[in-house]
Amino acid sequence: MTEKIKALLENLKSREYRKQRITGKTINRENYHALENQAKLLRELADIEKPILFDNDSFGFNRYTDIMVPGRSGNVTMNYEKVLTFGFDKLISDIELSIQKTSDAEKKQYGKTMLDLLYICLEIAEKYKAHAKEKGNTRLYNALLKIPHKGAESFYEALVFMKLCVYVLRLYGVAHLTLGRFDQYIYPFYSKDKETGISDEEIFETLEEFFISLNYDTDLYRGVQQGDNGQSMVLGGFDKNGVSMYNELSQMCMKASFELSVIDPKINLRVGKNTPDEIYEYATLLTKQGLGFPQYCNDDVVIPGLVKLGYDLDDALNYTVAACWEYIIPSCGADIPNIDTMDFPRVVNEIIVSKLSCCADFDALMTCVSQAIAAECDRMIENKKTDVFPQMPLLSVFMDGCIESLTDMWEGGTKYLNFGCHGAGIANAADALAAVKKNIYDEKTIEKQELLDALAADFEGYSEIRNLLKSSPKMGNNDDYVDNIAAAIMTAFSVNMNNRDNGHGGIWRAGTGSAMEYLRKGEKCPATADGRRSGESYSSSFSPSLDVKTTGLLSVIYSFTKYDMTDIINGGPLTIEIHDTVLRNDIGLKKTAMLVKSFIMLGGHQLQLNSINRERLLDAQMHPEKYPNLITRVWGWSGYFNELDVKYQNHIIRRCEYIL
Amino acid sequence: MTGCIFSIEEFSVYDGPGIRTTVFLKGCPLLCSWCHNPEGQSPNTEIVRSPNGCIGCNSCIKTAVIQNGQLLFTDESIKKCPMNLLRICGEKISSDILCELLMKNERILNSGGGVTFSGGEPFMQSEFLFECLHKLKGRLHTAIQTSGYCSRKIFGTALSLADYFLYDLKLADNALHEKYTGVSNTLIQDNFSELAKSGVPFTVRIPLIPGVTDTTENITGLTHILKSNRVSYAELLPYNKMAGGKYTMLQREYRPGFDERAEVRIRKDIFDKFSIETKIL
Repeated sequence: MTEKIKALLENLKSREYRKQRITGKTINRENYHALENQAKLLRELADIEKPILFDNDSFGFNRYTDIMVPGRSGNVTMNYEKVLTFGFDKLISDIELSIQKTSDAEKKQYGKTMLDLLYICLEIAEKYKAHAKEKGNTRLYNALLKIPHKGAESFYEALVFMKLCVYVLRLYGVAHLTLGRFDQYIYPFYSKDKETGISDEEIFETLEEFFISLNYDTDLYRGVQQGDNGQSMVLGGFDKNGVSMYNELSQMCMKASFELSVIDPKINLRVGKNTPDEIYEYATLLTKQGLGFPQYCNDDVVIPGLVKLGYDLDDALNYTVAACWEYIIPSCGADIPNIDTMDFPRVVNEIIVSKLSCCADFDALMTCVSQAIAAECDRMIENKKTDVFPQMPLLSVFMDGCIESLTDMWEGGTKYLNFGCHGAGIANAADALAAVKKNIYDEKTIEKQELLDALAADFEGYSEIRNLLKSSPKMGNNDDYVDNIAAAIMTAFSVNMNNRDNGHGGIWRAGTGSAMEYLRKGEKCPATADGRRSGESYSSSFSPSLDVKTTGLLSVIYSFTKYDMTDIINGGPLTIEIHDTVLRNDIGLKKTAMLVKSFIMLGGHQLQLNSINRERLLDAQMHPEKYPNLITRVWGWSGYFNELDVKYQNHIIRRCEYIL
Repeated sequence: MTGCIFSIEEFSVYDGPGIRTTVFLKGCPLLCSWCHNPEGQSPNTEIVRSPNGCIGCNSCIKTAVIQNGQLLFTDESIKKCPMNLLRICGEKISSDILCELLMKNERILNSGGGVTFSGGEPFMQSEFLFECLHKLKGRLHTAIQTSGYCSRKIFGTALSLADYFLYDLKLADNALHEKYTGVSNTLIQDNFSELAKSGVPFTVRIPLIPGVTDTTENITGLTHILKSNRVSYAELLPYNKMAGGKYTMLQREYRPGFDERAEVRIRKDIFDKFSIETKIL
């Protein structure tokens, strides 16, 4: 790490830069989403915000005030390649051309809004250019002589352009802004720099500066919790011929993330059966840093899964991830991959409560469960048919197809507008059904009414029954007894969800994620037959239930790779916590890398591997002042432990109760 | 036949080559003062209580019995605990079922890893151990982690059955060995010579216990043993201050016969002098 990077990192971590912000400013939030107001509102913000450059800051585009911009949707990957290569002037002339061609007044108006918004972005860039000149920051000034009007030529210019895009879209309100396949679309700029004789060391320093600059102001851009800002980056992957696309730049990104140990960008690694051991081994070093990076996606499962959902092969090959883990297609995909959530534990519980007495055998109960899941799918699909999504012309200009058709991305301007549905609490639901099968039907250790009474009483006075339920088969032990039940409910979900018309020109996709719903839905769900008390959290995404002592990591991996994951491919990882002492030397690192490889070879679709130390987390709860920069993975993102709500902190601590 | 095991640990990273599952056999003829697996000492099934999460309702005490002045939990205690904190430690399991369980993870284990039998001291249940090794022969790579304290006959059979050994050497001096582990080291050293001559791959493990095994005399003594058996690599296990953690679970007090807080000395210099390569785990 160079001295310059060290200084920048220190400034970032001290959070001193935030103290320079102007406070007390507000903006007009009225009719925020109306098309006619959008340019006006962005202008208002652009006028309040002034250029600000920190010491040694080559990127700029930082926040001047602490205004929390009201959120718009997002969670897509824009066409960075096109924008960075051609510049805004090209976008503007394309929009003008489309306006000329159409006679539709509404479309003309939409195109005009696109232009107005882009002009404001250009003005913002102008202001930064003047400020850079005044400050003597010739590096940034020279870049801004060219961009954003024209395309970038060098690696540095491309990254400044990216930072500018991120900044204006943030000001515009895009809450989750993903970075996509950075190592692919930036590679041509990297190559050009190399050709002109710029050394890897210089390029690497620029990359680290850029990564650091992505971390400024994240406190102003928060989703559910701070850190949930969507800046995920996808590296590697394989092309149509199975050739690895992991390149020198991919490796540089991994190294920068390793050295810097900051929460952005969040690294995702596309791997497959042909990924060499060295990549897993380096990735495990990154895991050791404790950031929760990288998250692994399995090309051998994801790509065929996306093709089954109707994506063209070339698009599927180019997949990336949304803010957390949902698979999306860059540039031409305006998918909304988290539009709703199947609440498995609730649906299953309602059936147990209402139908247990009249089901003579377990198969009858499972039939009711499948029917209820189907009905729940119908309900969600029907509900969303008529949803209207506020137009987003400024994000649409960066997506393929919207300029040509002068149609918003949420109204069919892009090739894909599919909906993804999370599947929360799969393990809890499967465990509950397994406990019923064992105790009610197979071994008859609990009477039906007894169980219903125990559930109604939230197990108050029924601890013996709860113990029986808790010691029943659990998902995560490589036990077909319960894993087959999990498979059955996933099938009921995917069969009744996948490829169904969403009423917006797209289809539905079933997934295994939970986002924040493991807490939120858990809070509302009464006691369940797996022994979970009312209000307790579900497991996060596709993972064993909380407080389940599994046989071990191998069994967990087997349990969660049994199902054909190509059928439930909206995204949502198996989350595994490994105690940081396992990673203390090269033996542990190598073996952990082999474990990840095993998961991929067995057909797992996505893995989130966290290195964690429970004692340290408990200490951090008691003495937050000792750990200002302790980072932990929350669900699809990582955040500073101190900045998380205590509910999320506790969930993370409980998740690692049983790790070795 | 059946054996008594107290744990099966998957992905045990430091128990031999590759990704391994370790089976812990209950019962040990040694009584090491620093033992961090006290539940492995007795060959019998015990009921243990996790101290974390206890609400002090005493339902386990009320359902316990007193035997030889010691409080013993019963099956009823397990059922009555509202927090589900009690469990049986020391499951009786047949070699067939155990091997079937291990084979379930065959695909992962067979990519360079395998299964390790540890303890306690696995040779305390040598018949059961050998039956398992027979059944796994040619199907899974097998390793034995041992103190080496068993008859030469038993050890000879093991050498013909297992693929790999993790062999503990603790104290070179016989009197000290008796003092801190309760047994003499004669058999251990004899069996070690057999192992070294056999051609079966193995790794030596040396626990570094402050003031006991990490002394200049002992490390020098151990390097002599290694040298005379032409062994040039050993793994060092520095004493873990968490070692006492499991005693509460057994309603026992941890009374190590040495100063727990003393710094462990890693005597790499002595090993280096005798050109023995070491690795700290």
